[in-house]
Amino acid sequence: MRSSAAPLWLGLVPIGALIVLWEAISGFRIVNPTLLPPLTQVLPVVSHIVLSGEILEPLSQTLAIMAAGYLIGCGIGCGLGLLMGWNRAIYDLFDPLVEIIRPIPKAALLPPLFLFLGMGLATKLVIVALAAFFPVLINTIQAVRGVSPVAIGTGRTLGFSSVKILFRIVLPFSLPMILAGMRISLALALILVVLAEMLVDSRGIGYVILDMQRSFKIRDMYAWIIILGVLGMLLNAAFEVVEKRLVPWRTR
Amino acid sequence: MTEAGGSKVLRGRISGWLLILMLLLLWEISGILSQAQSWPPFHSVIAATAKGLASGELLGVLLGTLGRMAAGFCIGGVLGVVAGLILGMDRRLAAAFTPLLEGLRPLPIPAIVPPLILFLGIDDALKIAVVAIAVFFPVLVNTLGGVQSIDWVLLQTARTFGKSRTVTMSRVVAPAVLPSILAGLRIALSLAFVTTIVAEMIAGSGGIGYFIIETQYAMRPDQMYAAVICLAAAGYALNWLFIRLEGRAIRWHRLSDTVPS
Repeated sequence: MRSSAAPLWLGLVPIGALIVLWEAISGFRIVNPTLLPPLTQVLPVVSHIVLSGEILEPLSQTLAIMAAGYLIGCGIGCGLGLLMGWNRAIYDLFDPLVEIIRPIPKAALLPPLFLFLGMGLATKLVIVALAAFFPVLINTIQAVRGVSPVAIGTGRTLGFSSVKILFRIVLPFSLPMILAGMRISLALALILVVLAEMLVDSRGIGYVILDMQRSFKIRDMYAWIIILGVLGMLLNAAFEVVEKRLVPWRTR
Repeated sequence: MTEAGGSKVLRGRISGWLLILMLLLLWEISGILSQAQSWPPFHSVIAATAKGLASGELLGVLLGTLGRMAAGFCIGGVLGVVAGLILGMDRRLAAAFTPLLEGLRPLPIPAIVPPLILFLGIDDALKIAVVAIAVFFPVLVNTLGGVQSIDWVLLQTARTFGKSRTVTMSRVVAPAVLPSILAGLRIALSLAFVTTIVAEMIAGSGGIGYFIIETQYAMRPDQMYAAVICLAAAGYALNWLFIRLEGRAIRWHRLSDTVPS
């Protein structure tokens, strides 16, 4: 009886209202328009940044570090998670250490990393990898432990080796939850790469946003923030595509 | 909490605690041998922690951070719950606002700090606002999910029995929604903690986030590590506290024990 799908245009109403509100606030000078220029003045800057190719250097910088750090962190998290979930002795060995390091906000580990790795590429890679590592690790351990013993027993009965059971039964069963962890990690990795760029060196979108604010190029600052928001949305969308491919049997 | 429970954990993971002990020993020995200013031995970090806490310097900085965090958490949490309840009342309203919320959410939190500095400066107001914004979204989304998952039959039953609106709210809606709200608040709590520190690092004024950066620049690594240790302890304590409160608030729904399938 109830229409489950609301018409698509309905979603545009609040977005439109927000844009009108933004225009009005700076148009009627409720807020100093220098600090909050109307969107109609910010969007041309966005298109200029994109079309002139100015976007390429910071974007590629941010994306490359994020991708590399994210993949390293997820890879190690997944590998160690499989081992810890699979083997009780390995779990006992690493679990206390994990529980001690996990509650530290990863941002707070940036300054110690500065001391060891300097204020550059290595620090940024390590902090992104660290941020991505923990959610994947925790989810993988839980997923592996939740694999049905019947499925594993079936594998044994069929004479599978332990390695084969791990890769042919445990891993596919665990994949949806590992991917759920990777989704959390994706958001964290983006946060950490932007923060690291703000604190570390003179490259990447995070640095550009802070630099524009400090040099009072306010329109450029908002333009880059919009670009970063779009980047976040595209990364999420890309993740969903990959997730659907890898676990098509899982209905969301 | 019980003695038996504690010792059981200790016995079961004896290899894990030995690993930690060995790492700390390695830290201590390498720290003594290296003589490098950036790598203080573990005992001097412990000494700096004790000294910082006793003198009140570190404690004051930490409490300042926690205070700002609490303020932002409360503001963002209340707004998130209220917005979630309002959107949850009507399916079309929720559908209308979903694209906007999904559009705003992927923006990483550090990016909103520079524009907010323009309006709020670099002090408490900035950090509280950033935390409130960070907290708002997960609480809203979880509250909304909770309201939408209320069993329709229960509401109809309450109506059939002629229960008043207040009774329906307190006896049917609240128990059904509370676990989701608390789950959202728990995610938001750790987010609030991180966000406070991130904002303090970027804005560069006050709090333990700034303290860590400051001590790193000033080459006082023992104090820097002491601050990191305090942060870990505070993070641990916050999580523990919330689990206890959550257990009290929703005894019928042991959320922290459920394992996602």
